[in-house]
Amino acid sequence: MILTVAILACCCLPVMAEEKTLRIATTNEVKSPAFIGDYTLGLFNHISNPPLMQMNDKGELIGLLADRYEVSQDNTEWTFIIKGNQFWSDGTPVTADDVAYSIQMYGTSVPNAGWIGETLTDTQVDGDKVTFRFNKPYTNIALEFTSYSILPKHIWESIENPNEYTSTGPYVGAGPFYIDNVDLNSGKVIFRQNPGWKGKTPAYDTVEISWFKNEDAAAKALESGIMDTYWKYAASYPYAAIASLQKTGDFEVLEKPTSGMTFLGFNLKKEPMSDIAFRDAISNAINYQELVDISTLGHGKIPEKGFVPPAMDGYVRSTPMEYNPDTARNKLEKAGYIDSDKNGIVEGKDGDDIILNLLIRNSYAREAELVKEYLEKVGIGVEVRSVEDNTWFELKDKLEYDITLTRTTPWGMLMHAGWATGYFDSRRTGQGVLHTVDDEAFLTLCDNILGTTDRTLLTGYAKEVQKYYAENLPGIPLYWKNDITPYNKEITGWYSNPLYGIMNEFTFTGVKPAT
Amino acid sequence: MRPFLQGSIFLFRKLIRYSCSFGIIVLLVFLLPRMMPGDPVANLVGEDIYLTDETKETLRAALGLDSPLHEQFVLYSIHLLHLDLGYSYHMHGAVSDILADRAGWTLLYIGISIIIGTCTGIYLGARAGFEHETWWSSLISSLALIISSTPPYLLSLIAMVIFVYHLGWFPFKGFYDTFHILSIIHHLTLPVLILSVFYAARNVLIMRGTVLSEKIQLYPLFARSLGIPERRILIRHIRKNAIIPLIALIALDFGFLFSGALFIEIVFSLNGMGSLMYDAILNRDYPVLTGTFLVIAIFVICANFIADILSLALDPRTRSHP
Amino acid sequence: MIPGLSNLNFRRHGYVPLLCIIVLTLLLIIALFPEQIAPYAQNKRFLPYMDPDNAHLLGTDDMGYDILTLLVYATRISLTIGFFAGGLSLLIGTATGILSGYLRGWVDDMIMGITDITLIIPKIPAIILIAAYVRPGIWILILVLGLLSWETTARVVRAKTMQISNAGFIMSARCLGFPSRSIIIQEIIPVIYPVILPKFMLTIAGAMISEASLSFLGLSDPMMESWGKMISDAFTHGGFIREMWWWFLPPTLCICISVLAVTRLGMMYETDEQEIVSE
Repeated sequence: MILTVAILACCCLPVMAEEKTLRIATTNEVKSPAFIGDYTLGLFNHISNPPLMQMNDKGELIGLLADRYEVSQDNTEWTFIIKGNQFWSDGTPVTADDVAYSIQMYGTSVPNAGWIGETLTDTQVDGDKVTFRFNKPYTNIALEFTSYSILPKHIWESIENPNEYTSTGPYVGAGPFYIDNVDLNSGKVIFRQNPGWKGKTPAYDTVEISWFKNEDAAAKALESGIMDTYWKYAASYPYAAIASLQKTGDFEVLEKPTSGMTFLGFNLKKEPMSDIAFRDAISNAINYQELVDISTLGHGKIPEKGFVPPAMDGYVRSTPMEYNPDTARNKLEKAGYIDSDKNGIVEGKDGDDIILNLLIRNSYAREAELVKEYLEKVGIGVEVRSVEDNTWFELKDKLEYDITLTRTTPWGMLMHAGWATGYFDSRRTGQGVLHTVDDEAFLTLCDNILGTTDRTLLTGYAKEVQKYYAENLPGIPLYWKNDITPYNKEITGWYSNPLYGIMNEFTFTGVKPAT
Repeated sequence: MRPFLQGSIFLFRKLIRYSCSFGIIVLLVFLLPRMMPGDPVANLVGEDIYLTDETKETLRAALGLDSPLHEQFVLYSIHLLHLDLGYSYHMHGAVSDILADRAGWTLLYIGISIIIGTCTGIYLGARAGFEHETWWSSLISSLALIISSTPPYLLSLIAMVIFVYHLGWFPFKGFYDTFHILSIIHHLTLPVLILSVFYAARNVLIMRGTVLSEKIQLYPLFARSLGIPERRILIRHIRKNAIIPLIALIALDFGFLFSGALFIEIVFSLNGMGSLMYDAILNRDYPVLTGTFLVIAIFVICANFIADILSLALDPRTRSHP
Repeated sequence: MIPGLSNLNFRRHGYVPLLCIIVLTLLLIIALFPEQIAPYAQNKRFLPYMDPDNAHLLGTDDMGYDILTLLVYATRISLTIGFFAGGLSLLIGTATGILSGYLRGWVDDMIMGITDITLIIPKIPAIILIAAYVRPGIWILILVLGLLSWETTARVVRAKTMQISNAGFIMSARCLGFPSRSIIIQEIIPVIYPVILPKFMLTIAGAMISEASLSFLGLSDPMMESWGKMISDAFTHGGFIREMWWWFLPPTLCICISVLAVTRLGMMYETDEQEIVSE
């Protein structure tokens, strides 16, 4: 009798399979449910629609949807071999056709990927191989293809304008999860496990990425335990919030140096910024230690003249930046900038007081205050003009400024010929780049880098680039910093790469909740 | 008969005035992007939008940018009548669709707040004004004053820190977690509460002021001398007159229903009209901006007109003193 | 004799108006002589994020500035914006209101039409739009805030002007041949005074709060350290997350107290309005 009851009781206590949800907080907002057109959704969909390549935690390129790639001798033909045994969430297998279709679609329909449309001449599919032929040599296609999500051809080929297409989901994907619902009103994107996924089964059934319109709410949500981790594209968890987060005792942090940094840029077309002696003097006027203390709260370090931080592959050590106002003043004097009327401001070659127009985006106001103070202390006048982002893009492109403060992102550092050349090469335009250097030596160096994939040659070039930065100072780095990713202590298995942080396949298949 | 005629003339004059204002607004909205320096297509489509050349040509033809201005205006007006407000490349959708989406939620949370705030404000303000010698009247007016003197976002932030973070009574963001009525109520309670408090505070102050000035008029004295009970005086006579100045303000509140409450939306991460406009401005999304502007203009004009009708009904004096 | 002070009837209003005047005078002094009152120089930095202690009564902010010093120096900016924006609004509102009410006819209709359009423009988006295009500076801000808040004053002034321009004494002045200008200045304005004063106070209050809101959105001049900017800085640089109430509450209190004092002073006049009997 008792036995029967006991057995019944055991049967009546079924282990309720509770749906396990991983909750990620972010401040990157999804503005519209456009899978390709919306910027943030385009970041998230790397999980559901893996691109061909990805970066591992050391910054090396490894395959994602593709197993490996081959490049022709002249760098105009790139062949990607697709991994087998991958299936879309509707059951159909992933084929090389999907890859061919996706890349071509990006080239023709997505303006941001217009370069593909202009240079891709031919696409060939052969079994599990796709070969792309370009009308000019490229050495970094593999890197570029870490950012284009591959779409299922049988779903998307009937859509007239993919860039404008909106739908709240579900979207067919081939990753460990697929996007099930994009809900703007509750502020989250819901991913569900892909039934067709043949790789390592994730421990979680769903992943919810929730976006907040202000950082404090996101941070507080994390602290209260509602969210498991915080992620922001190319940014760290706010340094100021770390202390109170650690006080709760429930969180660990992942701290990694990043190649994203803030630097002082010069309008090299105008006097006196065009004078290297002037820029050199300025480099001694800045109190780097204070900037590290205030801007990174100790999670950073004083940068070196080579501009490129240790987080980047190919970094070589150079002399650290030095703060010495007296040296700065002496250098100014020696270069011919003297304060003859003793009003506290040195004069330029034309005899007028030097008052530099410091153009910044609103978010750099604090640091601009400090820079202004440092420069004024050595006799250089500064007027700060703070504008909102779009205006900054306009004015910066028209070169209507003397100096500016801006930042690099890990992706930006890799762009063009890599090692921040994308920011300075005058032939390259873009929203965040300064395009101020048209020095022959620099441009030739960039072209050399772009012309080869030989590792030893590239390492040599990297050294040269950093040497150029140290000697010519087209931009003065203000501080190097670390990116902080907080996560709930009970969850293990986090994997972070320099480009997208924890938003990668390894994390999503590897994280495990506390048992 | 004559008062009716006078009233109608009054309303008619107002209608003409409003129509003219609206006409001017439509004209402005039409002319501005076409007169600004630069390519009108860029001005109409917004900035930071990369369009292929052929798309630009199709747009140019569709908008009729090559035809003379008055023809364009006719085309534009026809579009408006069909409620076609253009297409936003930033938001990847027709402007009217985008507005319809966001408007619903905005109307919901602001509408409720205005109604609660107005009713509370009128009731409390009237009592406080009428019995303004009592201690609680001073308390209410002081409270209302303090609330009106605080920047709105600060109150919302503090409310969030206390009620959401420390006490955990309300959620952090969004209109809902799952699309269920209970979840919606749970999420909207705090924002609606705070907004109502602000509306109520302002209405209390004004209502109290007007009731006070009505109180010293001759007619309440007269009513009192006739032996009418105090409360009757308040409700029947004074309140009706005291509301009149408030009507214009409430009408404005409803008129600006559409513009959402930006601060509430930022603090509570709500996807409403306020954020839409804010983003549109920062992204130079002109189609959304002009569309929103036109819709708000219509709302405000309608609201004002209703206010005029109401004040006409409540106060015959307005007929001759517009 | 300062017009309006004759209303300082203690028996009727209690001591509150006096308190308001004292508070405002104190603030004025702080605004005029910050160097004497602030404990440290404006750009002296210490260790960031320090809790309040004897050396720093309100602690330090994210860059290491002493918060009390910031508070003191911000007084000047916040008060300037408030008073000048309010003043501008008052000027425009009164001028248009009087013109509209006195001249009537098509001038009235035209001016009222303009106010309609100004009313329709949603304030915050308009300010955002302007701030996005124009280099923000304290005077631009004052201009914009003043330009967007004059219509309520105009309406009230207009109503009042209409009301009294039919009154006996105005009629007689007209009959006697006094030029309109002197009628306006000598007869109308003194009567309008009690009406616009409360409105003036309200617009000052509104301007101060609007400025605080703009700082929050990051649209005010980021180089301008006002109370609103302090709160906004606290918000964006970890003040809220670290619950540094000593950072954001003092500027809030300052805004509140100033606005309160100003509004309460304006409220003094609302019970004194005498109905002027029109003939």
